Amino acid sequence: MAKYTLKRLGMAIITLLLVACITFLLMNTIPGSPWLTEKTPSQATIDALNEKYGLNEPEIVQLGKYFKNLFKGDMGVSLKMQKNRPVVDIILEMFPVSAKIGAIALLWAVLVGVPLGCIAAYNRGKWVDSLLRIVGTIGISMPSFVVASLLLTGLGGSDDSIFPTIFKASLGAKAYILPCFALGLYPMCYISRQARSSMLDALGQDYIKTARAKGLKNSAVIFKHALRNALIPVITYLGPQIAFTLCGGFVVETVFSVPGLGRYFIQSIQNRDYPLIMGTTVFLAAFIIFMNFFVDILYVVVDPRIKLEKGGE
Amino acid sequence: MADKTQKTKTAQPNKIKFGSLQPDIENLLELKPEDFMPASEEQKESFIQNRESTSYWKDAWRRLRQNKVSMVALGVIILLILFAFIGPMVVPYGYDQFNSGAENLYPWHYSLKDQRLIDSVSGNAQERLEAALADAEAEKGEALNSREIAKIRAVVNSTTVDLEDFIKENNIKHKAFGYSVSELKRIEAGEKVFPHVFGTDRYGRDNMVRLMIGTRVSMLIGVCAALLVLLIGATYGSISGFFGGKVDAVMMRIVELIYSIPEVLVVLLLSTALKPALTTFQNSGNGFFQKLIGLLGPNLISLFFAFGLLYWVTMARIIRGQILQLKEQEFITAVRALGAGSGRIIKKHLLPNCIGQIVVTTCLQIPSAIFLESFLSFLGVGVSSPMTSLGSMASEALSGIQTYGYRLVIPAIVLSIMILAFNLFGDGLRDALDPRLKK
Repeated sequence: MAKYTLKRLGMAIITLLLVACITFLLMNTIPGSPWLTEKTPSQATIDALNEKYGLNEPEIVQLGKYFKNLFKGDMGVSLKMQKNRPVVDIILEMFPVSAKIGAIALLWAVLVGVPLGCIAAYNRGKWVDSLLRIVGTIGISMPSFVVASLLLTGLGGSDDSIFPTIFKASLGAKAYILPCFALGLYPMCYISRQARSSMLDALGQDYIKTARAKGLKNSAVIFKHALRNALIPVITYLGPQIAFTLCGGFVVETVFSVPGLGRYFIQSIQNRDYPLIMGTTVFLAAFIIFMNFFVDILYVVVDPRIKLEKGGE
Repeated sequence: MADKTQKTKTAQPNKIKFGSLQPDIENLLELKPEDFMPASEEQKESFIQNRESTSYWKDAWRRLRQNKVSMVALGVIILLILFAFIGPMVVPYGYDQFNSGAENLYPWHYSLKDQRLIDSVSGNAQERLEAALADAEAEKGEALNSREIAKIRAVVNSTTVDLEDFIKENNIKHKAFGYSVSELKRIEAGEKVFPHVFGTDRYGRDNMVRLMIGTRVSMLIGVCAALLVLLIGATYGSISGFFGGKVDAVMMRIVELIYSIPEVLVVLLLSTALKPALTTFQNSGNGFFQKLIGLLGPNLISLFFAFGLLYWVTMARIIRGQILQLKEQEFITAVRALGAGSGRIIKKHLLPNCIGQIVVTTCLQIPSAIFLESFLSFLGVGVSSPMTSLGSMASEALSGIQTYGYRLVIPAIVLSIMILAFNLFGDGLRDALDPRLKK
């Protein structure tokens, strides 16, 4: 187990470094520079700015310096969007907003998705099952921007209405309804489909027959015996999804003007704010990769039937 | 040969044991001269009637046809293809054609007479406001400040008729499809004008043609990206699975690494970075590849790349798994004994045997490619103007969402229907090609 964990951890770190390198490489091939605004500054100013922020050095040196600073917890300062403010500060300000919306969205996705999946599996072949299946398929066929913008067109109103169009934290709970719904719909449908098929799997197993033969009540069979095993695939899906949803439904944040990390990431690309692009990517990637790592480990702990791969083969 | 077994079986049916899988060899070994006579037409026919040969595809098609949902999905896909590829030939507007005078049309119009009536009221309001302002100014003797102007405006507005009420009171009904005023006049003069079925955008471009082109672009990206994924994934997966051992271990490590990269982040960066790089490449010469890029646009190519580079891993894993199972089977040993090389074994014997999996995975890759493309275009890093896709149409519509909501709703619906149809068809295809997977 320790060996497995170490191996996974090693993979996770290598992946993260790889992502950082890819990002750095891609970022530098995008033409344009952070200094370009409406009025183009003189070449001398650009050179001076490049020198000040170390952009005149060869890329490999820049990357080396970046990693050196990164291990000290320093991600540099923003070049354009919030000039000279440390990237770490910006991330710490943006992340809680994204995280809150993401957490609520996922919470309702799980709380609704899993029971719906169980209901569908229990009523297999009946109209409830068909209905849920249709709804689920439609749900995973609608990109989140479609859901978000349709909600916005259909329901969105001013700040005073029940569903404000523009997200403002000061508006309290009602500001969260639409973004959270839009963000959670896809995972909800996905989870319910997943829960249905794994529930069906579980219900066909021998230990369920045993449980029934013992004379247990239906509810006990489903909730105590079947559900536990049926949840494993849901957990696997949730791991990466948690990270991703918490870090930002890029689209949902853009549509509802939520000042979150996802929206900021897109803007930083458009503005060529190099340290900010690097910072947000590394942060998001680290979050996602370590969530995957965590789930991999959890998976083995939860389900003892899974055998660890033996070294080599 | 087949004919002969048939004959021996019919000749001595009592010798065949029921439920026995063992062929009746004794009779086969007794060869008589008439066994070597060519079969008569009648015998051939009776054989065909006894057992009609069904190929793998025929069998799959039969199963697919029984699945109503996927047949409906297939119908929808065909309709969408017709809409996207034939449609632009029917509509006489270009997707990047600015129809001046026809900006911001709704998908409906008022007849000329009604339009004049409405104009008289709305024009009237403006005139009355100006008259009232002039009066007030003359009375005061100097220019009005903004507060006074606002006050007068409020008074005038409260007395003028509300346009919506006016339309309702006079029972003016709008008619289907959008026409600009000048187009309506041309119709009055007896000319035939093609309607703007879904209205126009703010530059006067016909929304329906843009929708058709957008559907075409989204579909092309979906299909091409899926094929690219197939190409890379199948090659990589079959090599990895076939050679096994250390090669497999190393290759699968790489797959694992790519698999755990958060793809959306990288795809976002990749498509932003590739577009300008491809544009410079396109302008650098006049070779085959430059022409190809010119034909499709650096936009689309960068999306293919971004998709192809990151999404082939799932395909590679599936194919590897299949090949690992297949390569241990006897027919591969037989081919090997006959002296076939690795390349030939993979191409001619292994890959055709996992065709079901390959087709299903590719087909289900299409909707996810369309999904990703629309996502990127919506965020403004995918397909960009004047080219359009369903995602970028929705993105453009977002700014005028309150007034022109239909501009967002229509592409959004088409997009969702398209993804839904591909998903359902893919599911049906999986059930048909590989009944074992059916749940």
